[in-house]
Amino acid sequence: MASTPGLRGRRVRSGAGPSSAVDFDQDDDHNSLYSNHSRHRSSIEQFLDSEQASIAMVGVLTALAFALRFYKINNPDEVVFDEVHFGKFASHYIQREYYFDVHPPLAKLLFGLAGWFVGFDGQFQFENIGDSYTENHVPYVGMRALPAILGSLTVPIVYAIMKESGYSTIVAAFSACIVLFDNAHVAQSRLILLDATLIFFMSLTIYSYIRFRKLRYLEFSSEWWTWLIATGVFMACTWASKVNGILTVVAIGIAVLVDLWDILDIRKGHSMEHFWRHFSARATGLILIPLIVYLTTFYIHFAVLNTSGPGDTFMSPAFQETLKGNELLLNSQEIRYFDTVTIRHKNTKVFLHSHWERYPLKYDDGRISSQGQQVTGYGHADTNNEWQIIPTKALPETGRGRVVRYNDVVQLLHVNTQSYLLTHDVASPLMATNQEFTTWPKEDVVSRYNDTLFQLHLIDAYEGEAWKSKSGHFRLVHVPTKVSMWTYVNQLPEWAFKQQEINGNKNAQEKTATWYVDEILSDETGLDPRGRTGEVPAKQPKKMNFFKKFAELQLLMLQHNAGLTASHPYASSPINWPFLLTGISFWTQGEDQKQIYLIGNLVGWWACVVALSIYVGIIGADLLARRRGITPIPEPVRNRLWNNTGFFIVIWAVHYFPFFLMSRQLFIHHYLPSHLASALVAGAVLSFVMSETINYPISIRGPLMDRPRHPQEADLGINGPIVVGLFTLMMFAMFMYIAPLTYGTPGLTGEQVNSKRLLSSWTLHFAAKASGES
Amino acid sequence: MRPAQVAINIGPPSDDNSSSQRTSSDESFEQVHYPTAFATTTANSGHWGPTSSHLHVEELPLHYMSEDKARRRVLKGPGGVGEEYEGDGGVGVVAPEKTSWYHDDGKDVYAKAAAGRPGMHMGPARYRRAPPPPPATFKEFIQQNLEHLPPAIYTLLSCWTRFHKIGKSNLVIWDEAHFGKFGSHYLKREFYFDVHPPLGKMLVGLAGLLSGYDGGFEFKSGAEYPDTVPYVAMRVLMAMFGVAMVPLGWYTAVELGFSRRACHLVALMVLCDVAWLCISRFILLDSMLLFFTFTTVFCLSKFHNQQYQSFSLDWWLWLAMTGFSIGCVTSVKLVGLFVTALVGLYTIEDLWEKFGDLKMSVHDQVKHWTARVVCLIILPILVYMASFKIHFMILNHSGPGDSQMSSLFQANLVGNDFAQNPLDVVYGSKLTLKNMGYGGGLLHSHVQTYPVGSSQQQVTCYHYKDDNNNWLVLPRWDEPAYDPNAPLKYLTDGAVIRLQHTSTTRNLHSHTVAAPITTLNHEVSCYGNSTIGDYHDYWVVEVVDDVKRGRKENFETIHSLTTRLRFKHQVLGCYLRAANALLPQWGFKQVEVSCDKENNPEDVHTYWNVESHWNDRLPAGDAKFYKSPFLRDFIHLNVAMMTSNNALVPDPDKEDILASKPTDWPWLRLGLRMCGWGDHQTKYYLLGTPVIWWGGTASLGVFVIVLGVYLLRWQRKYVDMEPREWDQFLYVGKVAFLGWFLHYFPFMIMGRVTYVHHYLPTLYFSVLMLAHLLDHFIFTSRRLSERTKWISFAVCTTIIVGTFWWFRGMAWGMDGSINDHWGLLWRKSWNIYN
Repeated sequence: MASTPGLRGRRVRSGAGPSSAVDFDQDDDHNSLYSNHSRHRSSIEQFLDSEQASIAMVGVLTALAFALRFYKINNPDEVVFDEVHFGKFASHYIQREYYFDVHPPLAKLLFGLAGWFVGFDGQFQFENIGDSYTENHVPYVGMRALPAILGSLTVPIVYAIMKESGYSTIVAAFSACIVLFDNAHVAQSRLILLDATLIFFMSLTIYSYIRFRKLRYLEFSSEWWTWLIATGVFMACTWASKVNGILTVVAIGIAVLVDLWDILDIRKGHSMEHFWRHFSARATGLILIPLIVYLTTFYIHFAVLNTSGPGDTFMSPAFQETLKGNELLLNSQEIRYFDTVTIRHKNTKVFLHSHWERYPLKYDDGRISSQGQQVTGYGHADTNNEWQIIPTKALPETGRGRVVRYNDVVQLLHVNTQSYLLTHDVASPLMATNQEFTTWPKEDVVSRYNDTLFQLHLIDAYEGEAWKSKSGHFRLVHVPTKVSMWTYVNQLPEWAFKQQEINGNKNAQEKTATWYVDEILSDETGLDPRGRTGEVPAKQPKKMNFFKKFAELQLLMLQHNAGLTASHPYASSPINWPFLLTGISFWTQGEDQKQIYLIGNLVGWWACVVALSIYVGIIGADLLARRRGITPIPEPVRNRLWNNTGFFIVIWAVHYFPFFLMSRQLFIHHYLPSHLASALVAGAVLSFVMSETINYPISIRGPLMDRPRHPQEADLGINGPIVVGLFTLMMFAMFMYIAPLTYGTPGLTGEQVNSKRLLSSWTLHFAAKASGES
Repeated sequence: MRPAQVAINIGPPSDDNSSSQRTSSDESFEQVHYPTAFATTTANSGHWGPTSSHLHVEELPLHYMSEDKARRRVLKGPGGVGEEYEGDGGVGVVAPEKTSWYHDDGKDVYAKAAAGRPGMHMGPARYRRAPPPPPATFKEFIQQNLEHLPPAIYTLLSCWTRFHKIGKSNLVIWDEAHFGKFGSHYLKREFYFDVHPPLGKMLVGLAGLLSGYDGGFEFKSGAEYPDTVPYVAMRVLMAMFGVAMVPLGWYTAVELGFSRRACHLVALMVLCDVAWLCISRFILLDSMLLFFTFTTVFCLSKFHNQQYQSFSLDWWLWLAMTGFSIGCVTSVKLVGLFVTALVGLYTIEDLWEKFGDLKMSVHDQVKHWTARVVCLIILPILVYMASFKIHFMILNHSGPGDSQMSSLFQANLVGNDFAQNPLDVVYGSKLTLKNMGYGGGLLHSHVQTYPVGSSQQQVTCYHYKDDNNNWLVLPRWDEPAYDPNAPLKYLTDGAVIRLQHTSTTRNLHSHTVAAPITTLNHEVSCYGNSTIGDYHDYWVVEVVDDVKRGRKENFETIHSLTTRLRFKHQVLGCYLRAANALLPQWGFKQVEVSCDKENNPEDVHTYWNVESHWNDRLPAGDAKFYKSPFLRDFIHLNVAMMTSNNALVPDPDKEDILASKPTDWPWLRLGLRMCGWGDHQTKYYLLGTPVIWWGGTASLGVFVIVLGVYLLRWQRKYVDMEPREWDQFLYVGKVAFLGWFLHYFPFMIMGRVTYVHHYLPTLYFSVLMLAHLLDHFIFTSRRLSERTKWISFAVCTTIIVGTFWWFRGMAWGMDGSINDHWGLLWRKSWNIYN
């Protein structure tokens, strides 16, 4: 398989011109005379580059990573920060109750699995930050071990990425140390949070892709395919762990496009047929397989969660009816004319309510009302919530003709005050742009008859569909003015007993103007309507196509993710992240003045920022110099800077800049994937700054390779270990200094807190009095 | 790597060359001639691309091109582009000058053009043409200027469409309510505040002045104009800018190197777009914004065509004009920054090209850079600042916008009573406190309470004068109550006071509750009443310095207006601060006031000064007016504008039927009712001519696809176009696409309320793109016959003019019941009909 394209490649090239002046290949295979060149290297580099040293290095790094991440992992034995959510989701998996969340399910499934594995029964609901685990007998250590293991394994993967990219051992260790001794990574990995899983899979994706790229002279070999598919699978896992994982897909996508563009170049001498083979291989490995993996996680998700739970109400009625024990499934009934019902707003759960009191003639802001009877939203059961459905057409005496259907025009009669629901072109009490809702006495129905007509817009319904209680979500659209009955969380003043305002929204398609019939209280004759259709209440869950379920959930996830705009005291804007200006208070304990504050290692993060700016500087200088016909950087080094480090930069940028466009609430832990990428950049930049040498070429030798390039090896000499050693010491010192905030133990006195507050923008708790208390 | 050929000097076409190529017609001396030597070189090399740098723009042999193509790009008579004009004989006299005109003295600019990589480098869209000889006869004059006939006709047509029945509705239409009012303020010279820069509104004021308006009308929305307001004259003056758009569109198309037919289409589309027409006919800023946007693009394209005559008079002229135009467009509305960005990107690319030109001397490099900095950065800023300077000079009377400015500025306004303020602040004084940060307002409180936090009475910063801004300086609770008859007690540095809100008698208060927006600070509220309170009401007065008297050591008492103060909460040690964070709707979008735990002595947002000061027991002050420096006022006003602009966010609680989302615009999903919709009213509906909007948007998509296809084919080394054609395709494509993108995309990420008229400047670029693609695929195509071109041109023209005629009522006003106007509802989402 590998030979055919190889032959073709050669043939085409020789056809193009035997002594072509253009160098096609940027870095080639390992030179066979590897050892001969080694004697030029310093002995320290030679020693470090040996396999044993490398293995020892990985061993030490991994051991340290496990030690730092597992140290006192049982502390605190309380629910911390978002464990509230993700712990709860794990318990839902164990209880098999349906829940809804904006993130894809893989990481949460793993937590569920971990919980199940260590014997968690799923009874504990992780209600509040600070709830005790030990009192509730939750095997939380086992659940926390999962991210801690994944977080620890990320460190050797970072090392491997750098090593595979052809940097010297000591540089690879440097990048790994930035992640290893990072307080933010440690804090995030020790708790039941999704980020450790996300970052683990993301680093694996990068690793696989680099392995794949290095095999480009052995295209379509089995190894090539293995790493291609591995990239795809890990990429899908990243995406399936947390919704930000989609950024990893974008980053790999950009790299693949650049690669394909290169293959397309006619000077490479490939035929179009060859190009299409490459294209379809990538489409399979990086689109098709990831999609299958991604869908599989959802398939498992739906298969596990087959019982009704807190997430039901997010879903469509059809979806809800597939869940065991769902109320819709059990209690949904067809509604007939003259039934007395209670109507509830889907989002705010208030009942449509009215009472004898009237709107005041004049509001505080000087506007005038109709002084009609108040119509409000009320949160509790009450006889004033009862409405009767009055037909506007002739009905048959009995039978199915009396069922209310989609698009029927109805009147709603408020039972207690015997008046019809009405809206008209009068401004509502709180929103001058919306219409006031009021009622009109039944006796005088003639004068305002038209204004009492409402059309029933059942959502997602077909013509003639019957209106059902519970499952029949609808909008009530006023016939003459086309407003739809709407409410939102805003209380009317004292004169309406602080009940919720109901008004007419001019956007008749408004999504939040959705209502449903909560209960059918009685039919025309005042009898209990249950059982009139003779249906047996014990119904079986219905089936629904997986893809329909998936599409519905995916859409909802996107909508809700964009909707997370509420302000949060620890939310921060992305510009602060690289500089570590703000952290997040995860957990506090008053008695011992303990707290967990998510903040990174100041030395490591600022080093990364410096490295990024140096990189931009180098690239800028290189561009400008080349524009003036000067080539200051040797070609192999330049290739490494542009292609390999450039890839890291793309990963960093793609995981960072999109956040500037997002209006949802953002936290510093969203930067962690970018931080990992910046650690890779930092290594590459350090290597460039210290020495002009790199291991080159690093790609695996293959039949496509044109001709061997002059090889060279990275040699940082004695400086490398010294600089990296010093730097690692500094990072370690900083790590230890901030460690009490990361591990939440030991407790700190006010003065200690003040001294740990390295930047004035960090908002630590229990600070000493000097700058006020909080 | 630079190939050796870079030094190719095109040189002046020698006489023998030109004679040898005189093939097409007797008048062919008008055509540009290329040295035959190069023609042969290029004829052999059939491909081009980044590495084939021995190819260059100027080398194309004439025989390589179709007749039509050759005519299009070469110089003709004065028209320069037109195919129709190659035959006029009057210009024959030009021939002798022409040769010398193309002497470039071997300047590096030509060499650069030769060496530039096709695809990266932009050649001129249209060559400079030789200046014609002075006309000897009238006939000759006509012939020389025949090319200006179509634009002249279009301008006359434009006058007709713009002025036709312009006074039909004698009501205040839509935003005339704002801009007419601002114009009145200029006439009355009262200081007002608005989010837009002043140039456009000053021009409205000027229009009012010219038409004899006295500034006395209030411009209430929907009100009828009284006889004293010459609204027709004012509208006509505003519409002049709209009239000028049409010839500008034409000449821009000419400068962009469009074929004659495409020029006609551009002019027609500018003429026939109902939205442009409609918006130009009222007293609004948009006609000026559009006009200056058009001039900027025009100047830029004009400048682009001067690129081989660097530092010539014309070159300087058009560069400076571009800068001036940028200054004007940004001084009308800040949207002008988008077209500035387009010019910026163009300049960056241009300079990048120059930077890579190793042949250019350092001196020339520096000269190029300096020219850009001076003309495109400094000049626009000067224009922008000058408009503000004039603004301040005209508005020298106190008016509704006073409170947006610093107290010192206000004190300089005629009719302001700050001068009568008693000088020294004493206990028992009633005063208002002004925050000294840029955009700061007056310390304010009102009966509404915080819905979050403590639920106590809100304290905010407010930008308008109001009794709720008044505070009383009172002693602490543990001191004897203020006695109006006791001797005066002066307020000094370090005094601990209580500030009582006069209208609610509550006290300024802070406590350890998080502030609503700046959650890290303490909340500031009003608490208690004139007899109830606690030690959380105590504030320490800290003097910073005095604008007039200098350092705080130099004086003791606190003066109104000039002394800069800080207020420290005695118990919490935090500082009273207001820093442009806006409260949500429940706080009426006023500025949040909080108590900052960090003591940052440099933070001007914690500085306050006493603005108004009333105390009957003190003599009226005779404060000399202190000059308020222009630069400070300028920055102050601009910060205030930004703050208010950002406050124009869509209110989720308030459904605005007029607002639209950027995604609604390209496909014209929504129109906008500009006035009341009653049966007896003249109705105007802001809606574009659908075919122009749809065609423009479609052309943008087509361009992206076509560019992608060309690039893919380029990577496979297919030759689709000659380098020169490719340059032209890319240059116009870049201007149109980037222009469109820069005018459109920012609205997507902007938080503020957007309306359909925000798309109007953007539309221009999609119109250019549409004409460009029609040009590319039809009018300059080699495959299509002249007949096909004529037919397609006729079809385009008919559709545009026909649609315009169909929708003309929207801009000219529709009478009677709207439902009687048949056939206007082309999309269901338009709310034309009731």
